[in-house]
Amino acid sequence: MFGSITTDMVLAILPEIALLVLIAVVFVTDLVVDEKRRGILAWTSIIGLLITMLLTAFFAQPGAEAETLWGGMLRHDWLAYVSKLIFLFGALITTVFTLNWDSVRFKGEFYVLLLTSTLGMTLMGASADLIMLFLSIETTSIPLYVLAGFLTDDDRSTEAGFKYLLFGAMTTAVMLYGFSLLYGFAGSTGLYEISAAIGAGQIPAAALAGAAVLVLVGFGFKVAMAPLHFWAPDVYEGAPTPITAFLSTASKAAGFVVLTRVMIAAFSSVQAEWQLMLAIAAVISMTLGNLVALSQTNIKRLLAYSSIAHAGYALLGVIAASELGAASVVYYFLVYVVTNMAAFGVVIVVSRVIGSDEIADYAGLSRRSPGLALVMLLAFLSLAGIPPLGGFIAKVLVFAAAVQAEFVWLAVIGVLNAIIGLYYYLIVLKVVYLTPGKDEQKALPTPRPQAVALVVSIVLLLLMGTVFAPWYQWALNSASALF
Amino acid sequence: MTPIQLVFLFVAFATLWAAFMVVTRNNLVHAALFLVIALFGVAVLFVMLEAGFLAVIQVLVYIGAIAILMIFAVMLTRGDVDDIPDITNRYAGWVGLVAVLFFSSLVILMAQWPSFTALAKPILSSRDTIVELGTALVSPNGYVIPFEVASVMLLAALIGALVVARPRKGK
Amino acid sequence: MQIETALLIEWVVKSTILIFALLTGFAYTTFYERRLLALIQVRIGPNRTGPFGFLQPAADGLKLIFKEELIPANAYKFVFILAPILTVIPALIIMAVVPWGGAIELFGRQIALGLTDINVAILYLLSVASISVYGIVLAGWSSDNKYAMMGGLRSSAQMLSYELSLGLAFVVPILLAGSMSLNQIIEAQRGVWFIFYQPIAALVFYIAMLAEVNRAPFDMPEAEQELTAGYHTEYSGMKFSLFFMGEYMKMIAVSAIFATLFLGGYRGPFVDTYPLLGPLYLFLKVFLSLGLMIWIRATLPRLRYDRLMAFGWKILLPLSILNVFVTAVIIVVFGL
Repeated sequence: MFGSITTDMVLAILPEIALLVLIAVVFVTDLVVDEKRRGILAWTSIIGLLITMLLTAFFAQPGAEAETLWGGMLRHDWLAYVSKLIFLFGALITTVFTLNWDSVRFKGEFYVLLLTSTLGMTLMGASADLIMLFLSIETTSIPLYVLAGFLTDDDRSTEAGFKYLLFGAMTTAVMLYGFSLLYGFAGSTGLYEISAAIGAGQIPAAALAGAAVLVLVGFGFKVAMAPLHFWAPDVYEGAPTPITAFLSTASKAAGFVVLTRVMIAAFSSVQAEWQLMLAIAAVISMTLGNLVALSQTNIKRLLAYSSIAHAGYALLGVIAASELGAASVVYYFLVYVVTNMAAFGVVIVVSRVIGSDEIADYAGLSRRSPGLALVMLLAFLSLAGIPPLGGFIAKVLVFAAAVQAEFVWLAVIGVLNAIIGLYYYLIVLKVVYLTPGKDEQKALPTPRPQAVALVVSIVLLLLMGTVFAPWYQWALNSASALF
Repeated sequence: MTPIQLVFLFVAFATLWAAFMVVTRNNLVHAALFLVIALFGVAVLFVMLEAGFLAVIQVLVYIGAIAILMIFAVMLTRGDVDDIPDITNRYAGWVGLVAVLFFSSLVILMAQWPSFTALAKPILSSRDTIVELGTALVSPNGYVIPFEVASVMLLAALIGALVVARPRKGK
Repeated sequence: MQIETALLIEWVVKSTILIFALLTGFAYTTFYERRLLALIQVRIGPNRTGPFGFLQPAADGLKLIFKEELIPANAYKFVFILAPILTVIPALIIMAVVPWGGAIELFGRQIALGLTDINVAILYLLSVASISVYGIVLAGWSSDNKYAMMGGLRSSAQMLSYELSLGLAFVVPILLAGSMSLNQIIEAQRGVWFIFYQPIAALVFYIAMLAEVNRAPFDMPEAEQELTAGYHTEYSGMKFSLFFMGEYMKMIAVSAIFATLFLGGYRGPFVDTYPLLGPLYLFLKVFLSLGLMIWIRATLPRLRYDRLMAFGWKILLPLSILNVFVTAVIIVVFGL
């Protein structure tokens, strides 16, 4: 009656199983350990996430052929594998950044929610079915709504959580409507079955494109692309900074994995239409993100607009709808997650000490903490796309994919935008290095775990910019799983 | 027209009418009560499709739990039960226009789709539908992963609700 | 869906019988309660109207009909009138899926004793139980009276809380019988009643069901000492009697459901040869269950409100979850 469970099936969900065990462990630890010693919760999560990453890396590696397992719910392929590692890395670094932060450090529920959200993301990366996809997106989002509003004593955090929730609920509803139309057309919820059914049936292309628009609303919200970016600056500013880091990296990457997979797998027959829609979204995202970022005075808002712009760049890879395009998206997010984590890491460490997120207050940072200033320099230059950092390669790949797919005009707009971007990244760096600050003599110490996390991120960033081959191989493997 | 079609038309119009009333009432409790009627109409439609399980679940979950929670929330949070004077803002007209456009374009598009007017094949199953449903939910080659993920998600939502709603110390 | 005329007539007749049975049952349950309470409290009780006081319910009914109907000036009139109706309807329709007996042969037709047999009967019971809270909430809200409001809120919180345990107690007979149809559950109790297999589930069910119908010791919504009369403080005349009717019919209905799930329903000796014995056995079981309810009311004091919620969430719910879990494991392991 029930079909049996094979080793392959278990290995495919190994990261999820490990995360679930970790969630249970944290939950129970929170219950039994008394209040003063709850600092071990963060360390439990960190060690657990490390173990999960190792288990995933060594045992959950897919074969050359992509498999669809668990009754068509999950896909076991390289894209899922690489994206799971990205999300786990994001969660790990985020957890490290909460270590010296007393308002959440002793709260088990913070870590439980963070890990649940990560669990949702790993499933998003592997989903091959609309039902699975919807549930995993919700599993990712619902804990994030709460985490964004976690500081219930802080009005801005509450506002962030509430805005995120309202915007998320609305877009999810629209997306779900799109899913239901797709199911109605194709008579199946599996992404790959839908693609086959669309190929065989005589569904009007306009109707399919309409469904694509609705679905894109939901995905666009998750990746914070224009015109669905309105939530991002407020939420990024108000949310606890480690959560902002998590939102802008792992959550965005998860959105992009899903976007790439669904668009290429299910909507291949209306490719020209969705390419046009996404191209418009990409242009608006890049231009608007970069232009508005110019006038920001708050570092978190600046990074929010920068992340909108980066969603625009990464969209170019999706629009290309080619193997190179998909590979460039994966590469982009390998780099982007590491870079943004480093950038937000500096923001977290600095704001812990100076209690402000205003760019003006970063004056003299290079004298107070040369190490942090260097990390910031490298991260921002990578965001701007300067060689020999990872950001450069990522941008080159994305633009190359756009050119190859004959979207030269998009690539040109992208390059122009990258120049605008460089300007405001350099303004921040100018404040950090050149502007004299008030407390220049006071050293700004970096706690050891955060220092380790920052160094790891920067080393990875340099590696992705110089030792290019192994990462690109990962990206290529992931891309080939889609076609 | 068969009696069943008459019943369908009646139920469909009642559902739509109630749904329209939900969004146009000034009084929140009245809106919630109309919502109950609309949800009940959907349950009746499920019965007409011979989906008895979905029908009772619709009543149990939506009418028996969700709508009652809404009414509860309205009663507990609004001190007075006065009508809200104006429920529209200056975009109401535009939103209405968009909704009408969207709906008509959907109808036009659907009309071009041959399967839209085709009759669906009746589900012929020798087995009890509830048994089928239960098996599908827990079978590894069915929906066991979404089923389990849903439980994880609900647990997280529960914890999240507690985090948000729990009274703070010193307040 | 083709419905033949004979079937339609059959349904109408059966529905009418069911409604009349419930209405008469309601009237005589009040009488039964007053006489039994009197017996327990060493009084005599109503014995003047008719032989042994048998016409007392009729006299009560007449009195209520001729009472003046009051609607408070600030009440929400529409909802105020709607609420009692919403209370009675679930109590009337919940019995639709409970079988009263096997099948009999009449006018050359095989006629099942019972309105309908659907495969989701248990879920139907739960969903009807879950909508019965509307009448009480709305009555409390529309009366524009703080006692009524408090009573309405209390009773709905109580009903929602105990519904979970009730639902889990429903699961056990489903597990044992392997079906959600009440006929099959009764059939599965041909040998041994489920109350002997599952005394815990039966106990949980009985307690949760007392809370569902707001009976003592869970009659919080109408706690006279604190809330005057709770959600029906402002009701009078026929509207009040509708609430009264709703409560007693619900008592009968849940007793019948209890009998069906745990006491073998209409089954008893010789019922296979003489199907007409079925309704009689069911009546006897309901009668005993009602007697137990009245006895409990006469014996136990009312719970304090916070204790009631704590009991529901911290004791009853974990107990019923554990019970379902253990039962399921035993069934799987021993392959019953």
